[in-house]
Amino acid sequence: MSKTILTIDDSPSVRQLVALTLSTAGYSVIEAGDGAEGYEKATTNRVNAVITDLNMPVMNGLDFIRKYRAHPSSAGIPIIFLTTESDDALKTEARAAGATGWLVKPFKQDQMLAIMRKVVGA
Amino acid sequence: MTETLLETEAVLRGASRPALTFALQGEIFAIDADTVREILDMPAITRVPNAPAFANGLINVRGRVVPLADLRVTFAMDRPEPDADTRIIVIETLLDGEENILGIVADKVLDVCDLEDVAIEDAPQVGMRWHPEFLLGIGRYAGDFVILPNIGQIFADHLNSLNRETN
Amino acid sequence: MSRPDPAETFRQEARDLLEALEQALLDLSEDHGDRELVDTAFRALHTLKGSGSMSGFDEVAAFVHDFETAFDRVRKGLAPISDALVRIALNAKDHVQLLIAEPGVHAAAGMPILAALHALVAENGVAAPPPGDAAMARPAKTVAEDGSASGWRVRFRLPGDAMAMGTNPLLLLEELRDLGPCEIVADDEAVPPLDDFDPLVIYLGWDVTLRADVPREAIEDVFLFLRDAMELSIDPLADERAEAGSDGADEPADVPVERAAPIKAAAASASKSGGASLRVAAERLDELMDCVGELVIAQARLSQIAGHSQDVGLSSVAEDIERLAATLRDTTMSVRMVPIGSLFGRFRRLVHDLADDLGKEVQFVTMGEETELDKTMVERLADPLVHIIRNAIDHGMEKPDKRLADGKSTCGTVRLTAVHSGAEVAISVSDDGAGLNAQRIRAKAEEAGLITPEARLSDHELFQYIFHPGFSTAQEITSISGRGVGMDVVKRAIEGLRGTIELTSKAGEGTKATLRLPLTLAIVEGMLVRVGDGRYAIPLSAVEECLELPASEVAGTSGRNFLDVRGTLVPYLRLREMFGTDAPPDLHQKVVIVGSGDLRVGLVVDQIIGNAQTVIKSLSRLHAGIGTFSGATILGDGEVALILDVAQLVSSAEQQQRRVSGRNLGIAA
Repeated sequence: MSKTILTIDDSPSVRQLVALTLSTAGYSVIEAGDGAEGYEKATTNRVNAVITDLNMPVMNGLDFIRKYRAHPSSAGIPIIFLTTESDDALKTEARAAGATGWLVKPFKQDQMLAIMRKVVGA
Repeated sequence: MTETLLETEAVLRGASRPALTFALQGEIFAIDADTVREILDMPAITRVPNAPAFANGLINVRGRVVPLADLRVTFAMDRPEPDADTRIIVIETLLDGEENILGIVADKVLDVCDLEDVAIEDAPQVGMRWHPEFLLGIGRYAGDFVILPNIGQIFADHLNSLNRETN
Repeated sequence: MSRPDPAETFRQEARDLLEALEQALLDLSEDHGDRELVDTAFRALHTLKGSGSMSGFDEVAAFVHDFETAFDRVRKGLAPISDALVRIALNAKDHVQLLIAEPGVHAAAGMPILAALHALVAENGVAAPPPGDAAMARPAKTVAEDGSASGWRVRFRLPGDAMAMGTNPLLLLEELRDLGPCEIVADDEAVPPLDDFDPLVIYLGWDVTLRADVPREAIEDVFLFLRDAMELSIDPLADERAEAGSDGADEPADVPVERAAPIKAAAASASKSGGASLRVAAERLDELMDCVGELVIAQARLSQIAGHSQDVGLSSVAEDIERLAATLRDTTMSVRMVPIGSLFGRFRRLVHDLADDLGKEVQFVTMGEETELDKTMVERLADPLVHIIRNAIDHGMEKPDKRLADGKSTCGTVRLTAVHSGAEVAISVSDDGAGLNAQRIRAKAEEAGLITPEARLSDHELFQYIFHPGFSTAQEITSISGRGVGMDVVKRAIEGLRGTIELTSKAGEGTKATLRLPLTLAIVEGMLVRVGDGRYAIPLSAVEECLELPASEVAGTSGRNFLDVRGTLVPYLRLREMFGTDAPPDLHQKVVIVGSGDLRVGLVVDQIIGNAQTVIKSLSRLHAGIGTFSGATILGDGEVALILDVAQLVSSAEQQQRRVSGRNLGIAA
């Protein structure tokens, strides 16, 4: 049974790259275009990890993380956020909100897979 | 237009390039054979209502709609009905800087000869029946006079008269 | 389905984002205080940066990064929105477009834009240096400065909530094992009594002896996400263990530094093809359209041959091909239809910039963006419309103080609308400016020798002189309208699209330019008619009905050429007379009622032959001026037939009607 990853990003091209990379590596991928849709999909599907962008319309990534972490089904589910900054304050804020780790854009496919191995295993 | 004119003139006055000779009402005309795309038997002609007689027909040349011009109008000649010798000479020329394909009516197509063989004399200004600006010159070929029409100028003049009318 | 191309996905996405950015900026220029717009603009930039860098558009990402940094100060309220800022931000947006369209060409041109942008948002007017090399920051990955050791002793304790937050300690240990052989000892000192035990909290610590010659960073990377919140000590093992550590050193788990191949390849192929993919597709569509045109002519020919043949097999194939060709034609044409809104968006920016440059206040209103037109048509309309809109703002629109003095609101309105009307699309540009000055136009026309001082012309007729070559009435020649390119060029361009243009204007109230264009350039369904011995095609979409010419009208009573069509008087034209036909008239002449805009007119013909596909061929310069004909087509038997220009015929009937009725009806609807 392959692991299911939810990718939340308002950029179709990033979503497409993430989905392509993960599905090539054997993960199942669910996509969402903003935090609200992401929350809906995270809580109604069995997901093994979430990769989310932070800056999004409707519901941004931090709000998504907070809301999702308040939902019991999120316990133990790794949340990786994507960021373009290596801004420590932002990382601290996202971690405080409940994120597990981060990935700095632009990332390479292998980097992303390495992170996924790190948080959900192969 | 001037460019075409000068070009043609240079070509005609310069060294050898073949010319196509054809007959219109007893006179022999010659045009630069390089501008000729093909020679057609008389096709079905569609008349364009209200167009000047010089160019009031359209023909189908391999899927293209091509206007037909009649130099006999320019040179004030009779225009009898087409007969077995009548041909359409399809030429390529520039009209206002745009490449155009035109058909020219010929009573009979005669020959392709080298222009060197034609002794070109400037069109005599006096005693000519025709507008001197419509001629590049008069030549002699095999003992006959050959008229070198200034195709560019003839069409330019026609377009100008059209514009005058529209305005 | 081919594999999606990330570079192309990015270009599409970037188009949308830049469009959103531009709209937000333009909206901001109208309302400086709208925070939501600022957020929208910022988010567009942010997403653009992220996806640009992901898709291999490094130049774009770098430029947008600086753009975003500057804009971030606006978002944080550290710098105000101003017209100057909007202007430069729009420039920056344009630059991004260039960077995407032609990678590797325009990078240098971005520097002054960024400098200006940063100067504007800088505190106290002092430019903050644009943040350095905009290469995206990555997690630091320097070479181990303390070299390698034969192995490491790693002791760590995770933050209590790490597991709840998604960290799996087993995976961390596995990762360490991946680095080399490990001896792992759990430290259970902190585990509480069962009653106090929370299954989501980690009470254990670990002491790991890693016998591998790996850099310290490789170990630190294992704890990347937790490093600053956890207890972690990494100490080199003593040297005597060196030989034991060499085994596991071959498989460093470090992240490869090579850029992932598929992304790079995609980006390279994208930049090779250049330009937007839509353009490429459109060219192919043009080729396709040409082929369909040829096919339709060949098919008509086949049908004609089959019609004269007794061969049942041939007829049935001919019918099949006719059906297929029609479907193919319709599909091809529908694929080529695009909403005109894609064009309208561009003008918003034009209006903004022009109004800015000229010190005028202009509001731009568009309607009918969803109206569909052939792609080529939309493309070729861009320049003429730009010119008309320029004229409206430059010449038509007054300065705010003048408007105020005239009792108008300081802000003028330019309205761009598109609407389907029969087989045509009517596009109009109207302004509520000063209107055309009939006297000045008259003076100019007389000066140019176009009319005599005695000529009696209505204002409407005078206005049409604006379309004459070299005619410009702007009193001061501005850099916007300039000299050289006039409305005559616009008119020629519109006529080249088989369209018409008309100007109406009222002094003090404004000017309206109306373009009428066919939906498509290539093929129309035509009704074939005979007039004398000539055959003509009428675009079927313009045909409303066909009638028998009433006996009372056959004789051709002088002047009043009107038909009573169910109670409405419709003027009609005798094409036999118009075309100077010698052949004797048919006994039962027919009237084809055609419409253009709101007007209808009857065309009297000898015979209605039937419907035919007409692949439109434009007329050469020799016949373009005749007016009655919009083009020609080749019939199934290979002969040429002229296509009637319905709009032109209707307007000449209208003129005739005006003459007959003896009064000036003014400008018809």
